[in-house]
Amino acid sequence: MTNPLIVVRNVSKTFSAAAGPFTALDNVSLDIDKGEFVIVVGQSGSGKSTLLALLAGIDRPSQGEVHIGGTAVHSLSERDMSSWRGGAVGIVFQFFQLLPTLSAVENVMLPMDFTNSWPANKRRSRALALMERLGVADQADKLPSTLSGGQQQRIAVARALANEPAVLLADEPTGNLDSRTANAMLELMSSLVQDGQTIVMVTHERSARRFASRTVTLADGRIVANDDA
Amino acid sequence: MVASLRTTMRSPRWRKVVGDLWLHKARTSLVVSAICVGIVGAGSVLNAWSLLRRATHDEFDASNPASAVLRVDSVDEALLTKVRALPTIAAAQGRRSVLGSVLTSTGWKTAALTSMNDFAASAIGIIKPGQGAWPPSNAGIVIEHSSVDYATVSVGDSVTLRYGDRAGRAVPVRGVARDVGLAPGWMEHTVYMFATPAMLSSLGAPSTMNELQLLVRDRTLDRADVQVIARDVQKLVESEGHHVSEVSVPVPGRHIHAAQIESLLLTQGAFALLALLLSGVLVVNLISGMLTGQVREIGVMKAIGARAGQLVTMYLSLALMLGLIACAVSLPLAALLGRLYAEFTAGILNFDVSAFRIPWWAFVLQFAVGALLPVLAAAIPVARGCRISVSEALRDNGTAIRGESDGYLMNIRGVSRPVLLSLRNAFRRRERVVLTLATLSIGGAVYLGALNLRSAVIASVDLAFSSQQFDVVFRMTRAYPVDSMVAAAITTSGVSAAEAWTGAHAAISTPDGALNSRFAITAPPLNTAMLKLTIASGRALLASEENELVVNRRLLADEPRLAVGRRVTLLMDGRVATWHIVGTTDTGLQPAAYTSRETIEHLTGGVGATSLIVAVNATAPAAKLALVRQLRSDLVDKGFDVSSSQSMAEARSVLEDHLLMVAGFLGNMSLLMIVVGGLGLASTMSLAVLERTREIGVLRAIGAKHGAILAMIQTEGLVIAVLSWLLAIPLSLPMSIALGHAFGRVMMEVPVRLLPNGPGVVQWLGVVVAVSLLACTWPAQRATRITTAAALSCE
Repeated sequence: MTNPLIVVRNVSKTFSAAAGPFTALDNVSLDIDKGEFVIVVGQSGSGKSTLLALLAGIDRPSQGEVHIGGTAVHSLSERDMSSWRGGAVGIVFQFFQLLPTLSAVENVMLPMDFTNSWPANKRRSRALALMERLGVADQADKLPSTLSGGQQQRIAVARALANEPAVLLADEPTGNLDSRTANAMLELMSSLVQDGQTIVMVTHERSARRFASRTVTLADGRIVANDDA
Repeated sequence: MVASLRTTMRSPRWRKVVGDLWLHKARTSLVVSAICVGIVGAGSVLNAWSLLRRATHDEFDASNPASAVLRVDSVDEALLTKVRALPTIAAAQGRRSVLGSVLTSTGWKTAALTSMNDFAASAIGIIKPGQGAWPPSNAGIVIEHSSVDYATVSVGDSVTLRYGDRAGRAVPVRGVARDVGLAPGWMEHTVYMFATPAMLSSLGAPSTMNELQLLVRDRTLDRADVQVIARDVQKLVESEGHHVSEVSVPVPGRHIHAAQIESLLLTQGAFALLALLLSGVLVVNLISGMLTGQVREIGVMKAIGARAGQLVTMYLSLALMLGLIACAVSLPLAALLGRLYAEFTAGILNFDVSAFRIPWWAFVLQFAVGALLPVLAAAIPVARGCRISVSEALRDNGTAIRGESDGYLMNIRGVSRPVLLSLRNAFRRRERVVLTLATLSIGGAVYLGALNLRSAVIASVDLAFSSQQFDVVFRMTRAYPVDSMVAAAITTSGVSAAEAWTGAHAAISTPDGALNSRFAITAPPLNTAMLKLTIASGRALLASEENELVVNRRLLADEPRLAVGRRVTLLMDGRVATWHIVGTTDTGLQPAAYTSRETIEHLTGGVGATSLIVAVNATAPAAKLALVRQLRSDLVDKGFDVSSSQSMAEARSVLEDHLLMVAGFLGNMSLLMIVVGGLGLASTMSLAVLERTREIGVLRAIGAKHGAILAMIQTEGLVIAVLSWLLAIPLSLPMSIALGHAFGRVMMEVPVRLLPNGPGVVQWLGVVVAVSLLACTWPAQRATRITTAAALSCE
């Protein structure tokens, strides 16, 4: 039996707010194996995005541990966290978050540039290969503002995959897309999983369940359901 | 290495740096403009200073200025040979200066003719040939460069020269030359010329040399050492049977106006540095604002693997690029303005800076400041911005209000809700507002302070001339009986009053017989009705057994031994006597002293006067001029030998030209501050619009029209502008004192006027309102272009 790729143990996250402390996650534990496509669902404020932020090393748990690929993410320094995040996880945001002054291919090259993970003269060809795989190679030299939402999100996925991360984390990647484009995005995610990619995706899309290998349901910061497909 | 650099610059992160500069062109332009204003202001003053320093030092030094000048009854070759034989003397030469008149297209003007036996062999105060012939010959004169325009003559023209009331003679102008030791003719209202002794004789003027110019061998000696050498020469000259009436020793190697120009440039430099500092703070503001708009991107870059150090390098490089762009624009502009300003100032000093280059260190300094200023200004905001956690950055929507509640601003009665919103918005980013207020109010304080200075200068000139209740002075070539002079004048129609005055030149004599620079003593009758001196300290002249003297404060500044209450020994027209200093007065820029005509008559045993002082009934300048001409003609007809005449209007104009020009230079600094303040306001308002995109979208969604959005932004700007105007009024008090002191160092002490000038306050309100409307035009238009949909979808 192999060890899980992602191990979340007794994680709690409390935010301090003007109205008093607010617990977004309450003693959550979760294991995810390599190659799984896990979707996290729940109502607004249930703690979905907080869980994803802890997996991405964007935030730190108030209590508990997060291990990804053997790395104790919760204990990394800010500097080590940046380096680890660049290589180990790829993040896809709801609003794409492409840098507006860079062309599509430059956006995809950017993580390789920051982490120095590929030789400088190979980065463009790798970025183009990824964009080819995601069907947006013909948009390589366009600025994000000239692309449709679906195209921008595919480029965001290509950017997330640039450094061959162990895990792709997606925060409502279809939330800003029409239903047809959203469906295409989910098919794309599914195909990546078939190629061995591990994906954890926060979503409101009911249709996403049919692509996922597991659905984790959160309510009030707790896991209330953890169902295999 | 080049390939590596090319690869580096092609990498996405550097492309982002360049792309950000281009995407936010307006903001980039504002930052670059802010740096440019600072660099152009400070750089042009630095460039002018470096050029003038070189010109005044090198060119003045190259002219071999006289180390000392002795006024002697006559200087002949035998005397010169003996003086030259002294081991401490490198060169000695004789010279003669004569005052006459020259007829120009605008009438007769004072002409100062300098003569020497052999101009070509001159080794002291070397005159630089310019256009046409050099040296002057018996066939024609050479005019000094700075007098050409004032005299409206060119090489090849013929001018009419006259000495005293002798017949005028047409003399060809054969060339133009520059004497860097002279103040410019246009400013002194004097046409300087060079002529041979034979030419002076042909005009009827004395032509024997009466100035002994000395150049000491050791050029490193200080003034005291040179005074010792000059004393030795004086003894030698006197032992040869000559009479010495004055020994003048200037500060070695220093142009007579150098201290004033340095003070002026240093004062302007201080303001320019203030503008640079304020533009630096403006850059901090803009870069902070720029980072505010980049927080989310910083979060995204961190999320995909960027380290804080990489981001800091990127944003500091962006700041460096802004600095480099600003340098590319501002360095040539600062060089051009610096050179123009140096040329203008050099013109005042009668120097030519065209042969000099701005030194390399001045460019390096400006480049270093220009390139590094934005980097230093950005360092703290960049470090702070790049340290932000990813989660905080991704949550940022740029609309948070920090600071205390300002709800009280929403509860002012009788003011509409949109205006209240503008008022409240004006204070949302308080640090930024404080900076904008500071730049605009300091600009206002300089503007109002400069107006106060101008008023104070004019009041000082009024004061100086209020004591002189006459219109024209006629100087005679010799003394005439007092009554006959007055009677001759008063019979001319239009003359309302006349007095006969006398005068003399005196120098302080020390117990060992050493002499100092001479100063003029004016001697009206004791009961004069035409000279009402305002006594600043001590008392006025009284009928006394003693020789009493009132000195003006300019003379006192040059010669502290003439303090009130002191008794000093003066050499006057060959007579040594003790004088009692009884008071001080303010009568302008020239050193001057006053006694009574009776005192001079008592001292010299002579009776008579050398000047006729006249007041006329006419008030119009043309009528006055006609009357003066008629009177001069009448005096000549009655047998008086008039050497020159000077109208008080012209004397006042000379003084005002000097003073108001310097006051204007200091006031010009307010323009620099207005530009910095305007840029500050423009940046504050454009950042406010940027940060409130969503809020403006909401306002539009609930019905705010174009006009309402425009009015809201313009009202915000006007609130800041009017507040800065209110602050500028009290700030103008210390600024008036500072400018008054600066002016005192440069020119002369003026009574500092503290209360702001009423019309000036209203003018400044107009200026800040105009600056505000202009500065807010672009931000307001940008706000109206924000569509509701785009604003509300803005994350």
